[in-house]
Amino acid sequence: MGKETISVDYVEKELREALGKLVLETRRVADNQLIVVVPRSEVAEVAKRILERFREFEAHLSTHVATDERLINGHFVATYWISVNAERGDVWIGIRAYVPPSDSKVPSLTPQYPGANWYEREARDLLGIEPVGHPDPRRLVVPDDLPKNFHPLRKEVKYYEKVFTEPSFEFKKPRKYEIVVPFGPYHVALDEPAHFRLYVKGEEIVDVDYRGFYNHRGIEKLAESRLTYNQIPFIAERICGICGFTHSTAYCQAVETAAKIEVPDRARYIRTIMLEIERIHSHLLWIGVACHLVGFDTGFMHAWRIRERIMWLAERLSGNRKTYGMNLVGGVRRDILEYRKKLILDALRELRKEYKQFVDMLVSTKTFIKRCEGVGVLPRDKAQAYGTVGPTARGSGRRIDVRKDHPYAAYKELDFRVPVYSEGDVLARAMVRIEEVLESIWIIEQALDKLPGGHLLADVLEVPPHQEALGYTEAPRGENVHYVRTGHYNRVYRWRVRASTYNNLPAVPEMLRGYTVADAPLIIASIDPCYSCTERVVIIDVRSGEKRVLSEEEFNALSRKSRGLGR
Amino acid sequence: MSYVTLPYPFEPVEAPPEYRGKPEIDPKKCIGCGACSRACPPDAIRVEDDLVSGVRRIILDVSRCIRCARCEEVCPTGAIKLTREFELATPSKEDLLQIVEMRLARCSICGKYVGRTVRQIEKAKAVLSPLPRDRLEELLRVMTLCEDCRKRRVAQALQGVPTALLKVWGEVHG
Repeated sequence: MGKETISVDYVEKELREALGKLVLETRRVADNQLIVVVPRSEVAEVAKRILERFREFEAHLSTHVATDERLINGHFVATYWISVNAERGDVWIGIRAYVPPSDSKVPSLTPQYPGANWYEREARDLLGIEPVGHPDPRRLVVPDDLPKNFHPLRKEVKYYEKVFTEPSFEFKKPRKYEIVVPFGPYHVALDEPAHFRLYVKGEEIVDVDYRGFYNHRGIEKLAESRLTYNQIPFIAERICGICGFTHSTAYCQAVETAAKIEVPDRARYIRTIMLEIERIHSHLLWIGVACHLVGFDTGFMHAWRIRERIMWLAERLSGNRKTYGMNLVGGVRRDILEYRKKLILDALRELRKEYKQFVDMLVSTKTFIKRCEGVGVLPRDKAQAYGTVGPTARGSGRRIDVRKDHPYAAYKELDFRVPVYSEGDVLARAMVRIEEVLESIWIIEQALDKLPGGHLLADVLEVPPHQEALGYTEAPRGENVHYVRTGHYNRVYRWRVRASTYNNLPAVPEMLRGYTVADAPLIIASIDPCYSCTERVVIIDVRSGEKRVLSEEEFNALSRKSRGLGR
Repeated sequence: MSYVTLPYPFEPVEAPPEYRGKPEIDPKKCIGCGACSRACPPDAIRVEDDLVSGVRRIILDVSRCIRCARCEEVCPTGAIKLTREFELATPSKEDLLQIVEMRLARCSICGKYVGRTVRQIEKAKAVLSPLPRDRLEELLRVMTLCEDCRKRRVAQALQGVPTALLKVWGEVHG
């Protein structure tokens, strides 16, 4: 494209010039990762200025890491990690503030940049870093009935500590001969718990609220308390039931970058192959679910039938359909032997044929197109303001893809296209995914062809303490960032996971406003949230104040009934 | 077209040869070193020593196992292997335990049980066999001592060494 690209050196120089005395220190933690230490009172201002400066470079807030470093330097640490994207330079900028425990407050970035909303609430919940001026005082990650001033990620809290509290809501007392059967929010029929509240005027959605994190399991605490470096990839893989391998890869890459471990070429290629296999199965799963939600169940069945071939292939390659368990710090554990190469090529040949037939059928199905077109529009500026990632961002015209912008594994050596659509509706997000499946097939074929020989695993003798780095992957749902700070005794000091849905979900209310209740399941599903059943909805009519909870069945039925209703 | 839908469970399904299923310990090969329990991410393998009756128990709890096969990877004797078995539904969790018991070695001085199994010492002997005879015997003697006798041995060896020298040695070695 011949556009200006920037390097870390350039960014460092420019920031020093532009910010002057505000830069207390710069630290290069990796070739492409720069930490800028600024005064605590200026952190939001500096983050805002950097986001604005690199706006045309598709910069967004990629993650926020809060760490308890009181034992090392007597402070809490808050770091806003901003990534520069759009193939305009492989740069990650961490804006860091040291926060004294006696006055653990930082100015909030959220009023200027809505994408910081969840990050700052999470830091407040887990470490007690108060974002001053944050518009939403509610908790995000921890339950409402957790005692105040109890912050689980502080180092003095033991991972096995239990805090017994009384729930803050009341139930009716059972009468004689009655027993109570608890039922929800962990609804047995739903895959994972999450709670959307839609505020409606008749059929039209006017506002949306979200409460989630019922599934917060505290694995970051568990990892830093008692797991070793090579045990964490296995829990990382279980963060998500669909895109687990991308998490274990991101974690391993973070440790490898921090400890300066060189991963053997063959391992980089094998990771790439497995990541793309995962993307194919994830996208096929999503396409199936989307078909189901618009009432096109034939498409659903076909998508999942085709997907099964990939599941069987993964089972032959890794020993399991879904949880590949192939990553360790320094490389991979299973080789792609000659006979497995043949398995892959055979499966891909069949897959490509069946998939093309299926896509032809899908895009010529009126119900599917009509339900998706013009629904749930996320405009480009909103997509950037919330820092959305992956197909959600690419459906709104943001040309970002971690595989291109910050190449990892073997992506730099492979040729592929990144589909981008500018419409911003559900159909655009669907088309991005539909095209990506074919690109993934092509990537795997190239990687197999180029697969270098050599070792699978680097010799990892020791991981030096207190090194830090980011590891990142393009998960099927978008950018996925892990931060690792190494520690003593073969353990991480801090591990921060940021899955892609964390950036995409806060933008869903923007997509829902102005559309009908019947479109809601499809719109919510269109970001491919990392829980597949968010259909447990409370509908509040703002005119009558009447509340009604729709069951999953009713909600889906409503969704299926309204085919052809797209606005 | 219907190659995906199988009549399972009415007809059995065989897992592919690469499948990672339920792990099993071969009690004949296991030396009780506990390497598997250190590598195991979900703590599915525990090691318990009974120093009174002289028994080490390796307790494999398949209900906790995540089938990562790290145990298989680190086992020095190839005793623990993942099978292709996957149908593990059972009314009793006890069915999912495998317990391997092993004799502990006795201290060659005081005769108490030590925290190493007889087989571990045999294995060490085999591994160390290329060493010169006197060096090998020296190592084996240390290996079969209990914690107390080992400390006593060090203390005796240091008797007669001038205190000033010990102090320097202590500073150097922490």
